[in-house]
Amino acid sequence: MGRLDARAKIIGVVVFVTVAAMLTVTELIFAALALSVIFAAFSQVPARHLLKAYAGALPFILIASVSVFLFAGIDRGIGMWARTSACVIALLVLASATESLQLFAGLRRLGVPKIISTLLMLTYKYIVLMADELVRMKTARKARGFSGGRSLFDLRGLKIIGYTAGMVFVRASDRAEKGYEGLKMRGFNFDLKTWRQTRLAAADLAFIAWFAVVSGALITFQLGAFA
Amino acid sequence: MHIPDGLMDPMVSAIGWIEFMVVIAVALLISGKKFKEKDLPRIAVLSAGIFVAQMLNFPIGGGTTGHLVGAALFAIMAGPVIAMVGMTVILVIQALMFGDGGITAFGLNATNMAIIAPLTGWGVYTLVKPFLAGLKTETKHGKMNLGTAIAIGVGAWASVFVSASACAAEMAVSYAISGGAYGIAATVSIPAMLGYHVIIAIGEAMITVAVAAYVLSVSPNAFRSISEKNVAVPGLKGIMSSKIAHATVAVLIVFALALPLYFMYSSEGADGLEKTMEDAGVDEGDAVLTSPFEYGETYFAALFAGILGFVATALVGLGLMNIFKIGRAAE
Repeated sequence: MGRLDARAKIIGVVVFVTVAAMLTVTELIFAALALSVIFAAFSQVPARHLLKAYAGALPFILIASVSVFLFAGIDRGIGMWARTSACVIALLVLASATESLQLFAGLRRLGVPKIISTLLMLTYKYIVLMADELVRMKTARKARGFSGGRSLFDLRGLKIIGYTAGMVFVRASDRAEKGYEGLKMRGFNFDLKTWRQTRLAAADLAFIAWFAVVSGALITFQLGAFA
Repeated sequence: MHIPDGLMDPMVSAIGWIEFMVVIAVALLISGKKFKEKDLPRIAVLSAGIFVAQMLNFPIGGGTTGHLVGAALFAIMAGPVIAMVGMTVILVIQALMFGDGGITAFGLNATNMAIIAPLTGWGVYTLVKPFLAGLKTETKHGKMNLGTAIAIGVGAWASVFVSASACAAEMAVSYAISGGAYGIAATVSIPAMLGYHVIIAIGEAMITVAVAAYVLSVSPNAFRSISEKNVAVPGLKGIMSSKIAHATVAVLIVFALALPLYFMYSSEGADGLEKTMEDAGVDEGDAVLTSPFEYGETYFAALFAGILGFVATALVGLGLMNIFKIGRAAE
């Protein structure tokens, strides 16, 4: 899946997720979940990575599912879990199987305004830098005996956390000017362009078609066209 | 607060998308005129900084933690329009690179965290600051006085609380209009979200003040909106270009965004007092004084009534400030 054009992946997954989010018939929701799991299995994204990322989204999914289960019955509770999981898994596969720059360039070529796509690229670049900076600062903080504060009443702890965040801003803004100069040196002119402008290949079109057919079938059954 | 796909009723998700698209299109139009190419790295650094700051967990107590949202900090540091664009970029990265927040729910997530949160944070900070201008006591950090620190804290608290309230209301409306197929029941979503976020928002306020104090003392140029002075322009143009007027518009936009949900959720039934009177068999008498205005039964009528009420309240507030000379000391 890594070789597919980012535009094809974005279109396919967005269509599928949009349709899956609208399903209310339990059988169709489980069909969507099964398709999402199959999609994940064929994506070559390591299962461990996907499970770890899914675990991050699980608390919100569970709160919603348990609430629906308590107030509207077990079928709807399970339906809520399956529907949100189907969407989250498909989205996680898209996020994991697409290189960041390709994804942003794909969005730009799909018509996202250049200010947003350029900011996406620059922001992502700085996030990587600043996250490294933060890890170093956290290690230094820990070495000096700070372990994250105790509660909201621990004013000293909150002050240290606030100063850490402030320091990240200050250190990174120094780099921003230099980073911008570096970009200008390499011919940056306010727009995000990839080195190679690929065209949609047969495999990309097949990928979109597969998702279109599957999503079309799901929504047709949902609307009761064959009932 | 990141809503995943499949949780919300499609109608509520669609409203979220429409609201977000309209507001961000206007923000991009304004920012397109304001931005210069060399501003982009600064905005990107701020966006990345907020993203990374969201990775810093703060303790709440009992072993639980919360994390910074940062929308108010962003808006106070860079202004609300840049904050809206920057927060949108953060949310796109979170949704597409980390699967945090959905695609169909992106409109709602962006409305809550990229529009309502920065507008509320900046609006409340700007409206509250003149009232606290008399508090000139310097904090330990030298460059920030107590009044500014309190205004930043109140703005940050309000931004998290109001955006969490919007999120809870969206879940409750989804549940109500879908008959339980989507969303979370109001009896769960509202106390859970508001109860948790009223405390998270305190942490947000304290950390935002600490970050602002640090950045202001080390790199004051980073805070354009704090260091900017209001230039007095006479007449209507002066009123329209004042920060108070802009903050009033910001709060009104938040109100306008909340109205469609209100109409989807509002009940035709009697309120508490009317029901009690009905049960007791007491009829409502003729009013001694009647207003020429009503709250309105359509979106635009209610919006008009809200704007009218808000502007009237703001004018009374400004009049009182003028009478008691509040805020003049700050200029």
